[in-house]
Amino acid sequence: MIRLEHVSRIFRVGETEVHALDDVSEHVRRGEHVAIMGPSGSGKSTLLNVVGCLDRPSSGSYRLDGREVAELDDSALTEARRRLVGFVFQSFHLVPRLTAAENVELPMIFAGVARAERRERVAASLASVGLTGRARHRPDQLSGGERQRVAISRAMVLRPRVLLADEPTGNLDTASGRQVLDLLERLNREGITLLVVTHDPGVARRAGRILLMTDGRIARRIGPEALGAGLGGAA
Amino acid sequence: MSFADLLAFAMGAIRGHRVRTALTLLGVAIGVAAVVILAALGEGARRYVMGQFESLGSTMLAVVPGKTETSGAAAFTSATTRDLTLGDAEAIRRFVPEARRVAPITMGSETVAHRERRRQVGVVGSTREFLEVRRLRMGRGQFLPEGDLRRGEAVAVIGAGVARELFQSADPLGQVLRIGDVRARVVGVLEPQGTQLGMNLDEIVIIPVSRAMRLFNRRTLFRILIDVRAHADLATAKRNVIALLAERHGEEDVTVVTQDAVLASFSRIIRAMTLAVAAIAGISLAVAGIGIMNVMLVSVAERTGEIGLLRAVGVGRAQVARVFLAEAALLSLAGACAGLVVGLLGVGALVTAYPALPARPPLWSIASSLGLAVLVGVAFGIAPARRAARLDPVVALGRR
Repeated sequence: MIRLEHVSRIFRVGETEVHALDDVSEHVRRGEHVAIMGPSGSGKSTLLNVVGCLDRPSSGSYRLDGREVAELDDSALTEARRRLVGFVFQSFHLVPRLTAAENVELPMIFAGVARAERRERVAASLASVGLTGRARHRPDQLSGGERQRVAISRAMVLRPRVLLADEPTGNLDTASGRQVLDLLERLNREGITLLVVTHDPGVARRAGRILLMTDGRIARRIGPEALGAGLGGAA
Repeated sequence: MSFADLLAFAMGAIRGHRVRTALTLLGVAIGVAAVVILAALGEGARRYVMGQFESLGSTMLAVVPGKTETSGAAAFTSATTRDLTLGDAEAIRRFVPEARRVAPITMGSETVAHRERRRQVGVVGSTREFLEVRRLRMGRGQFLPEGDLRRGEAVAVIGAGVARELFQSADPLGQVLRIGDVRARVVGVLEPQGTQLGMNLDEIVIIPVSRAMRLFNRRTLFRILIDVRAHADLATAKRNVIALLAERHGEEDVTVVTQDAVLASFSRIIRAMTLAVAAIAGISLAVAGIGIMNVMLVSVAERTGEIGLLRAVGVGRAQVARVFLAEAALLSLAGACAGLVVGLLGVGALVTAYPALPARPPLWSIASSLGLAVLVGVAFGIAPARRAARLDPVVALGRR
């Protein structure tokens, strides 16, 4: 599903070059659940941006769903995001003036889905995250966990192949965090390829495998059992 | 994305900021209201003037010395333009059958005095016919007597204002008036009738044309007014007058103006002025456009996260630009509609306050101010929309 070969991403900050990603190669199979860990500035977010087609590698090859995307222009990247990728952010990124239902509807409006179909899909999507009763609430009337579930509903509503979550439980209490992780795992079991960036070993331990990043490289690849037990189930 | 969805989304975004939106609308609204009200005032003035002209009847011709409509070399080669003379007026009276009344006119400014009171007024030299040709109404006494064009009596007809100022409550009839250094007996007082055709008829003194020419030491006429028998005779009369005077002068060197032509040119002039004033008001719309640009730039800055999110869920740059352009257009359109309502109410209030002024906004002012407002909104919305579209999604999402 995701195949990175010798991918580098270099930022120029004044005179110096920063290697946010330095010769990263990795293959994530369809339906995998992969966690990415590492200290701040290790390149986790940049990796997620590149995988999510928000950013382009400076060099190397990146194939998403069999298609080379490293060379795509802006509109083709936009198209790839719309068809293949869903994002979940630590800070939710819900549009504050829109209700939960309208936030979920948003991607479909711009994708040109007809109004009647939009309404059905919004209802189904909110139902699947257990928020049918919250459809008419605005983000500031929802709890953190509810907001993140709305965001996941929105990320899934265009039926992507890959779901990318950046610290999805970072702003949540333990109970809400667990609910969100349960939801992500369920979607993964239903077939979506799931990448989760996290600082939290409890979150990472629920993944199938874990990439440990340092200085823009994947330093180690480990299994969840290597993180040890006794750290709890979530957040 | 359908157009309806685009509008609905843009509308939702605008509604989020009521105060800011209202202030921006106010700018556009003031501009549109100013255009509509000023254009309505201009149009009212035009209709008022037209009404004045029409009340004078439409069978009047004016012969003016000089050829204003000549084209070609003749205009430059005529070395000796002959002026209008009393002889010309007599000839028209005798040989142009359509001319019912002929009033030669000379004009000047002179000090008139009665005892110790003096006043600078316009002095018109004419004949008995002037009364009918100009549709004057007598207040008291008689108008100038009939008689020989070239030997007028020492009499004067005075306007109502002159009578009031010089004679106050005394009866002016039969009194002696000094006009410059000649004397004349007041035989009549005009009814107060205000300004017509640019002449304040309350502030004039009318004396026989021959005496006026002597007073001003002039041998030529200012113009000759002709009252034709019927409106249908205007064209024939005009042709005959031109032909007659061309024969007398040896070339075509006069201009005959029908009242329709005067009317049309007055109308044109006032229209042009209305347009100019409305255009000046239109400048305020451009200023309002800057307000729209400002508010849209603020909006783009505030909604950076939203823009990043839209880009992340697969919304293209062009679509983002369209959303912000639609918001700018909606803002200006809403402002324009509000301004139109205010403008029409304002015109309504004006008409109520001054019923004599037939103010009414011309259609072009409504159409052009609405069109201009939306155009300005879109034009000033382009820069903010481009800024929104060019945002790097990674930066917009705060992920770097």
